[in-house]
Amino acid sequence: MSAATGIARVGRRALPRGSTLSVGIAILAGWLLLALLCPWIAPYDPIAQDADATLLPPHAAHLFGTDNFGRDLLSRVLWGARVDLQMCVVGVAFPFVFGTVIGAVSGYVGGVLDTLLMRLIDIVLAFPFLVLMLAIITILGPGLGSFYIAMALVGWVSYARLVRAQVLTLKQRGFVVAARSLGYRRGRILFLHLLPNALTSSIVFAMSDCVLVLLSGASVSYLGLGVQPPTAEWGVMVAEGQGFITTAWWITTFPGFAIVVLATGFSFVADGLGDRLGARP
Amino acid sequence: MNKRFRMAAAGLMLALGLVSEMAQAAGVLTIGRREDSTTFDPIKSAQNADNWVFSNVFDVLIRVDNTGTKLLPGLAESWTISADGKVYTLKLRDAKFSDGTPVTAADAVFSLTRIRDHEGSLWRDSYTIMDTVVAKDPRTLVITLKTPSAAFLSQLALPNASVISQKAVAKQGEENFAEHPVGSGAFSVKEWLRGEKVRLVKNPYYWEAAKVSLDGVDWLTLPDDNTRMLKVQAGELDAALFVPFSRIASLKKDARLVVLLDRSTREDHLLINHTRGPLGKVEVRQALDFAIDKKAIIDTVTFGYGKAANSYIPEGALYYHADNLRRPYDPQKAKQLLAAAGVKNLTLNYIVNAGDEVDEQIAVLLQQQLSKVGITAKLQKVDPSQSWDMLVAGDYDISVMYWTNDILDPDQKTTFVLGHDSNNNYMTRYQNEQVKAKVAAARIETDGAKRKQMYIDLQKMAKADVHWVDLYYSPYRNVTRTNITGFHQNPLGRFTLEETVKK
Repeated sequence: MSAATGIARVGRRALPRGSTLSVGIAILAGWLLLALLCPWIAPYDPIAQDADATLLPPHAAHLFGTDNFGRDLLSRVLWGARVDLQMCVVGVAFPFVFGTVIGAVSGYVGGVLDTLLMRLIDIVLAFPFLVLMLAIITILGPGLGSFYIAMALVGWVSYARLVRAQVLTLKQRGFVVAARSLGYRRGRILFLHLLPNALTSSIVFAMSDCVLVLLSGASVSYLGLGVQPPTAEWGVMVAEGQGFITTAWWITTFPGFAIVVLATGFSFVADGLGDRLGARP
Repeated sequence: MNKRFRMAAAGLMLALGLVSEMAQAAGVLTIGRREDSTTFDPIKSAQNADNWVFSNVFDVLIRVDNTGTKLLPGLAESWTISADGKVYTLKLRDAKFSDGTPVTAADAVFSLTRIRDHEGSLWRDSYTIMDTVVAKDPRTLVITLKTPSAAFLSQLALPNASVISQKAVAKQGEENFAEHPVGSGAFSVKEWLRGEKVRLVKNPYYWEAAKVSLDGVDWLTLPDDNTRMLKVQAGELDAALFVPFSRIASLKKDARLVVLLDRSTREDHLLINHTRGPLGKVEVRQALDFAIDKKAIIDTVTFGYGKAANSYIPEGALYYHADNLRRPYDPQKAKQLLAAAGVKNLTLNYIVNAGDEVDEQIAVLLQQQLSKVGITAKLQKVDPSQSWDMLVAGDYDISVMYWTNDILDPDQKTTFVLGHDSNNNYMTRYQNEQVKAKVAAARIETDGAKRKQMYIDLQKMAKADVHWVDLYYSPYRNVTRTNITGFHQNPLGRFTLEETVKK
């Protein structure tokens, strides 16, 4: 996360005030468009091998060059955008939903339930993030499905803590007291009155979490536990090109660059949203 | 001691240290390799990384020459075999261990009974053929076999059957010995920093010490292929092992380096689990052989440095049958065979070692080739430690594996692969009673010409049955600086460090 957030920091200084959000959205929209259009704009089939065109450096016929199987890297980077974007969205959505609900209930109900849930969070947080994820994926077997489950099991804690803290401060506020004195049920107060106000910092965090998920997904695939070959995914592509880094730099460089650009886009959006909503993750 | 004096003293000591370091470095060969050693107890390892160092630390009774085709006297300077092929009488030469004590027949008895009987020995099965091992006198060793075996002399050349010092094991204890071994090889272990390096120094008591030019050898563990190659290019290493196929061409262009492609006994093959549904039918297995384009694998994965395999016995090894059947790449024929066998929409579970570059590349290629004949290969990437267990348990359909011979005689591999040994014919579960009987008969056949014919027949039968799909043979790939000469690897993996010279 640090590299991309670092770029975002630099970007914030370089870009005119308030424009990070629009630049970020433009980057994300750009990738989304490329991902949607890739069946039409990708020049080659991303998994078609060509024994006569292996390890070609970038040139007119293959703008990003070819890998050791003769597959076109531009097409693979474009098709990879589909997988990596999906990874970001699904990988953040589950922890976001679980974490928010658990955090809100824990903060609002309080008492023994709160204490138990907070200790559970401490336990999960005590393990290094990637190690715990790898352990879960190893048990479930490699693949994207396992990756999502592992993300959901490990990632929810951050959201739960954020939302709980917000709920704790908000539940003393006047509008909540008013709602309670009107005799509304607890569920209604929590989900209709409290949660919408408690969510802003969570949303901002989710955006920057996308960067982390993207990089974890790429790392997990790099280690052979995520997306399985021959599917194009940026982390897998970096891993596949590693052996050729001194002889064919383009195999790792282009997917690596794609990861950086997408991660930067998410970082910009997170920063811009944070400024706009007045919440800093 | 005032401060200035202290600094001067420190500077002097540093300078002295540097000088002595440089003087020592002159004759020390530094070799970079992927893995560290795991033990120096010869009977407790079956890994190349260990055996390749054992060869220069321990000595064996009988050696294999540098071409990997002939047996030479080692610690045994001569030997006779009784007419019934059961009693071997070996005459030991006057040799010493690295601690200066003499090598006696009692040490040889200790070492051989240890590899046969010790609980921790990984080679027990191969040595149970020895009935008794006796020291007739300090220089005469008599081994009596239960049944005659044409391969037995080759077995004595296995690094794991090296002669170790009985006294040292008794004095140090086994665990300590496994880190500070006492052997009679050209070098002895000075220190072993786990995960970092094994430092060997010349053994002054070695019986051929006059031939050895190097003062020592440092085996450095550098798992990353790129790092290892860069270090040898930068002159920080004298030699590096396992040059990736993709780097051979570019390293060859470097005038300061010599790329060595020494013939090996490595054969890569596609294991087939014969007990899995349609894979039990010979037509289906033949279809797999026709569907796989070996040339594409050799071009893409080995960059043309491999050679298409046509037998389980590696090219150039004893009794290799050069004219064994080669099924051409013919997807049409493969489809016909599958149709004839009534197999449709075959889906195969393909175990791939995660993180193994070559394994993963072959997987991607095979997946596409098999899809052309209507076979879906489901890749299952697993950790190498786990994949081995899955293969042993038969929890797979196909998987790529390799084998390198440990001994010169084909009996060892043949028994493992076709002889219905305890390992289910190298995890394939291949069953052919005729082949099994022939493997047993070939082991005890003493007539050279007859024995050769039996192995040729075995290679033909195995090929006809497609016990597995032979993929390719590949050489050992090492690189040295140009000032290193005489650095080679024999086909069984032994390095010629005794003959290596660093200028």
